[in-house]
Formats: sequence, structure tokens, C-alpha cells
Amino acid sequence: MADPQGPTPQELTMDELRERIRATGITIAENRLAMVRKLLADALAPVRALDSRTIRSVEPAVRFAPDTEGNARD
Amino acid sequence: MTDDIAYATIRELGTRYRKREISPVEVTKALLARIEKLDPILHAFVTLTADRALDDARAAEAALRGGDERPLLGIPVGHKDIYMTRGIRTTGGSALFAEWIPDVESTVVRRWQEAGTVLLGKLITHEFAFGIQFPGHRFPAARNPWNLDHIPGGSSSGSGAALAAGLVTGATGSDTGGSIRGPAAFCGIAGIKPTYGRVSRAGVMTLSWTLDHTGPMARTVEDCAYLLQAMAGHDAADPASSTMPVGDYLTPLRRGVGGLKIGVPRNYFFEGVDAEIQRAFEESMDTLRQLGAEVRDVRIPSLQAAHSFLLILVAEAFAYHERDLRERPELYGDVARERLLSGALVTASEYTQAQRIRSEICRETAEVLRGVDVLATPTTPKPATPFTVAYDTEIGFPRSNMAPFNLTGLPTLALPCGVSASGLPLSLQLSGRPFEEATVLRAGHAYEQATAWHTRRPPV
Repeated sequence: MADPQGPTPQELTMDELRERIRATGITIAENRLAMVRKLLADALAPVRALDSRTIRSVEPAVRFAPDTEGNARD
Repeated sequence: MTDDIAYATIRELGTRYRKREISPVEVTKALLARIEKLDPILHAFVTLTADRALDDARAAEAALRGGDERPLLGIPVGHKDIYMTRGIRTTGGSALFAEWIPDVESTVVRRWQEAGTVLLGKLITHEFAFGIQFPGHRFPAARNPWNLDHIPGGSSSGSGAALAAGLVTGATGSDTGGSIRGPAAFCGIAGIKPTYGRVSRAGVMTLSWTLDHTGPMARTVEDCAYLLQAMAGHDAADPASSTMPVGDYLTPLRRGVGGLKIGVPRNYFFEGVDAEIQRAFEESMDTLRQLGAEVRDVRIPSLQAAHSFLLILVAEAFAYHERDLRERPELYGDVARERLLSGALVTASEYTQAQRIRSEICRETAEVLRGVDVLATPTTPKPATPFTVAYDTEIGFPRSNMAPFNLTGLPTLALPCGVSASGLPLSLQLSGRPFEEATVLRAGHAYEQATAWHTRRPPV
């Protein structure tokens, strides 16, 4: 997972934010951009610090377990 | 009206009804008068259903005369205004649905109605259970009865404020990142987010499918147990609903905590915690030790990445709201709109990585819960936030002690454990294994019975 000794993860810049807004075709008021950048930057920090190669490489899609009625359910 | 009616527990009301000391109609009229007096200050209700309440109360009275023993008979409740109520407007706290009257009933509303509750009205929610109403919004934000300059927490803000002020005996809440437990903490009451799949979400407005939970809020743990008992259980209308049989939440309350193993995850949950909250928490652990529990430290390292839960939340919320956000964004409240729109900016890879982090947190937490029965943490790192801070958009979305239990879906209870120097409530959070609500409630009840924090009343 995240390496606490590793370099500081790349911050979400205002330019990157504007690029993403352009790509998705949404409109965010100029006076709210800083707020949105902070929200996303904080939430993205753990993901950007993640070395995805260090967590398990096989993820489940569906899991089946017999329930009490004998039916398979997730 | 005296406080002994406004703040009566479910068991006390039931006992007094059956002794004919007081009737559901008398209690309902008294609470309606109290709402009329206090709600113009608190803004807890968005819709009052006085006629419906009196009809419900009369029906309860007739049933009581016939010897009906249902424990929720004649108990006055309110529903968070994202729970759809047939024939009663359901606003979601938003101008988008300001006059919407559903023709369907949410499963939980129906179950509480069948249990004999009295519906006093609909309680304000943060807009779509996400964004606090800023000044100028169609619906004013609820205020905290302990200090009107502070928020009551959210998003079940009306539920928290109404319970703390003695306006209802029970209320529904929903919890995507702490929206039951946060208001419970800030308002000095109790609330339980049950296991994911334990209580139906059918007929409740969605915020984030994989994080949303529904559950009860009340002034005591025992009241939460009564209310949960009447709402839990399989519902084919909610695809996440579990077929796991519902246990008895009331009887185990009396067993105490002797022999119970309580783990305190020392990483993550104590970063940035106020000294007085830390102190109240440690005292609560001492109390639980004295009651016979074994308390020890544990670690869940992957929680350091828990704030990525917000990526899941906003991405799923945007998926749910996308059409309205693109076609009529002006109807969303200021700030709530931008927070929802931020979900459009999360890439598929980032969402996927956040879900992988979530899997790791689930795995590590499950491992820890093989060695202990309950996890204990402070519910929030600070007491109720002042409105001035809540309205400061530069502060960002605070890191949460509650969100890890939305990621893991584990049953988690918040209950009062102290008071700040400024007179605001402090709260203890207890979490357990999947579908072990009874164990969590049992630990909370034992603590509550040994302390008096739940008997404190706000100055309103």
C-alpha cells in the first residue's frame, strides 16, 4: 500500500483540474474551483501514494456462497 | 409539558401507556406543542404531519385498549426527508424536490408504521444527504440544540436536533460517511449504522450505492435496539438486502460486557483528536474495563488510506445525479452542487484504486475482528462544528473517523461519553463483526447504564 517513506504524492494542480472539467463537459463556477480542487486532492492523496503493484493483483468480481435457502447469492 | 414526557424512553412510554397514566394522543399533542414552540429556532422539521400524527395516535390508543403489546405502539417518530412517504412530500432537503409527493413508501417507513409508531413529520436532511444548506437555500439548515451557533451534524441533521430537543422519541437516519453517527455525536444522542444489507434502503434517496446504510437514531441505546428490531430484515426491493435472519437485539442488552474483548485501533482514529475527546475516550475505556471487558490496542495500517472513500462517494453520487446536474444545476444548493459535480472528475482508474484500498481495509479489519469482539474509537475528533467553520469552503472535506465503517459495512454505534469545556457533547464509537449488532448494542448499553451522559439535556 502507501509507502510513508516515499516521495510526497503529486498534488492535483489547478491546471489539471481545469483539464478534467473540460474533458467531462461540466461547468463549475470559478469561485468554487479551489474548493473542488481541495476536496479531490485530499481524496486522491492516498490513491496517488499507492503502489498498485504492492497490493494483491487478483480482485473478486462476484462471490457465491450458499445461503440458508440453498440459493447462490453474492 | 414536562421533560419527563419529552425525554421519555420507548420503554417508559410503553409502560405508562399500559398503566393508563398517559395516552398516545396526550403525548402526541404535547410534542406537537413543543415542536410549535422550538422548531422555529431549530429548523429540525421540514414537514409537520400533525393530522396524520393524531390519527396514528388514536389508532394506537385503540390498539392499546385491545391489549396490543407491540413495543413501538404509540411511539412518536420522525423520518429523515430522504425516506419516501406516500402522500407526504419528500424533499431530500433540495429545491429539486421541494414539492414532490411520492406515491410509494420506503420499506422502513412502512415497517415502523406497521409497528404502530406515530408519524410527527419529516426531518430536514443535508441536501441529498450530502451538502449542508448554505444561507439563502430553499430550506434552512437545522441548528444544534446544545448551541444554536453550531451545526447538529449531518446529514441526518433534523433527526439529531429533534431527538436532542425532545421533539421525537425515535427517528430514521441514513449513513454514507457518518450521517447517523455524526449527528448523534454532535447532539449527544445515540445512533446505529447497521451492517450493510441489514436494513432496507428501498424507497430511500441514494447518495452512494456501495456506502449507503439506513438505521435508527434515539436518545438511548435501548431505544435504538427497539427501533432497529422493527426495521431490520430482508427486503427483496433492496438488492443489497441480506437474508441473514434477524436476531434479538433487546434480550442481550442485559448481559453486560464481562469477558468481551474490545480493541482500540491506535492508528488513524486519534490523529487530530481534541485532548478533551481523547480524555473522555480513555475514561470510557476505563469504565468498560471496570465492567469486565478486556480492552487492548490493535492496529489497522491500511486505514491511513481511508480518506479515498470520498472518491467512491462522489463518483457514485455523480452517477446518480448526473442528469439533473447537467440539465438543471441551478436547482441544487450552492456548494452541494459543486461537491456532487466533483464526482465527474474522478477517473475510472482512481475509482478502481479506491475500491482496491477499500478491499484491503476490509481484509485487515476482518483480521483484527478475529481477535476482538468490538472496536472502540472516538466518533469524531472534535465536538460540533460552528456554522462559521461549516460554511468556510476553504477548509475542505474533513477526514472522518466514521467513514472506515462505511467502507467495511460493519455495524457501528455512536453514543454520548462526555462533555466539552464549551458544553458540547462528546461521543464514543463502537463497531463489531458483520451482523453482530446485538454485541455492539450490548457493549453500548452496558456503558450507558454505568454513566449518566445520556441523561444530560440541552438548554433549549
